[in-house]
Amino acid sequence: MHSILRIFKFAFQGFFRNFWLSLVTITMMLMAVLSVTLLMGMDYIREVTIKGVENKVDVLVEMKLEADREQVESLVNDLDELSEVKVVDIITPEENWQMFLENNKDSEATQVLEVFEEDENPFPYFLAIQAYELDQYPKILEFINQEKYSAFVQSSDADTHEQVINKINDLANFVNKYSWYITGLFVLISIVVIFNTIRMSIYTRQSEITIMKLVGASNWVVRTPFVIESVLYSLAAVLIVMVIIYPLLNFIQPSLNTYFDGIQAVNIAKYFKDNYLQIFGTQFLGLALINMISTSLAVRKYLKV
Amino acid sequence: MIQISNVSKIYPKKIQALKDISLHIKPGEFVSIVGQSGSGKSTLVKLMIAEERPDSGKIVIGGWDITGIKGQEIPTLRRQLGVIFQDFKLLPKKTVFENVAFAMQVCGFKPKEINKTVDQILALVGLKGKEDRYPHQLSGGEQQRVAIARSLVHKPKLLVGDEPTGNLDSINTREIIDLLKKINNMGTTVVLVTHNREVVNSLKNRVITLDSGYIISDQANGRYLL
Repeated sequence: MHSILRIFKFAFQGFFRNFWLSLVTITMMLMAVLSVTLLMGMDYIREVTIKGVENKVDVLVEMKLEADREQVESLVNDLDELSEVKVVDIITPEENWQMFLENNKDSEATQVLEVFEEDENPFPYFLAIQAYELDQYPKILEFINQEKYSAFVQSSDADTHEQVINKINDLANFVNKYSWYITGLFVLISIVVIFNTIRMSIYTRQSEITIMKLVGASNWVVRTPFVIESVLYSLAAVLIVMVIIYPLLNFIQPSLNTYFDGIQAVNIAKYFKDNYLQIFGTQFLGLALINMISTSLAVRKYLKV
Repeated sequence: MIQISNVSKIYPKKIQALKDISLHIKPGEFVSIVGQSGSGKSTLVKLMIAEERPDSGKIVIGGWDITGIKGQEIPTLRRQLGVIFQDFKLLPKKTVFENVAFAMQVCGFKPKEINKTVDQILALVGLKGKEDRYPHQLSGGEQQRVAIARSLVHKPKLLVGDEPTGNLDSINTREIIDLLKKINNMGTTVVLVTHNREVVNSLKNRVITLDSGYIISDQANGRYLL
């Protein structure tokens, strides 16, 4: 028990008494963690934006004028059975009429409706269909284009939609794929920076290691305080990033709101608040692990005395 | 205490530091090992504390054959020895007290015993009242006293000094040598490696002289020959 307490005492002494060295080491780690954190923020914005675009995509199916409510509802029921379909909305001829009026209120185009009697409506039923994933639309469109629905389905805009959907899908996949590459590259750079920082830090203290060994300290007694010290660096770096990041996010949130202008809800500050344990806990564990491995390797070099 | 038989040591590039050395040091002796730079003195110390391994021959310290000592056994050996160096080798971020206590801490002594023994040993080397100072706040002589205190605190049977006065002025040198004599009088075997003529001649003890890796002289009440 005494030995364990001593090891922790040595670690804390090393951390605080080598103040400037600790500060430099923490600063380097801070840069690495901050870079990864900002990248995570960017990743969140990317994910939310792409998800938002995906959610705005739907397929509009125009029914024939003679299609009645019963036929429309039977198609909706069939569509609801499909596992790919998220939601199907019926847009009635009356709603279409109202939308036409609203969309053209400042135009003379509304006058064309005056030729129709009160019980006449030139607009058909429409179905707005949304899938769970972008790549599920072709299957839904194929389903609608079956022969049995041709009697009351006018058109599904299949070709136009498919092209647009495919483009959005390709773009989303492209961005997702490359964001992983960029994240990976950042993490790799951070690991290299941290590893070399630790090596430099241990290099400056190599005589300390030699002295401990000459006095009769075992490898475990020499190495463990350095390893614990490296965990303290990780903790300090992540805590400082937390102190920096929240005011920073609160500062940039209004700019994000202005940029997206209500089109897309991107609340990065809330995202970091809701997921703080997951984000910073993972960062701490990752950093501590890298530090512990780096320290063990760096110290090992000087233990052969 | 120390039995060295036919020991040779060759460094890379075929630099032969020691050539077929044999010597025996009895418990309680005060032995000076002298020689010029490159004579093999420091290599001999490194072999005694297992910092280096011999290429041939046999080394026995306190009845323990350390010729082929394993890496994990080295700390155990060093905990039974006291070693002082020319450059003191103090831990710069530990206080005087902590530096001395460290030697006991690595041996697993309890805090109460450490506090008591360190206080006693600091009084013995004349550093009472300076426990909380850091090495850089001490003079060279005082730093070497801390190193001596650290080497003695776990009560070793053998104290090895590798040029312990090399960085000290004559007054501090005299004080350190007096301290080593005092330690020897208390029963500890002392091996002093030096090239300080005045120190060796003033001791009037056994002197082993090395030259180019050979023992060229071993005198009971010797003098500095070179």
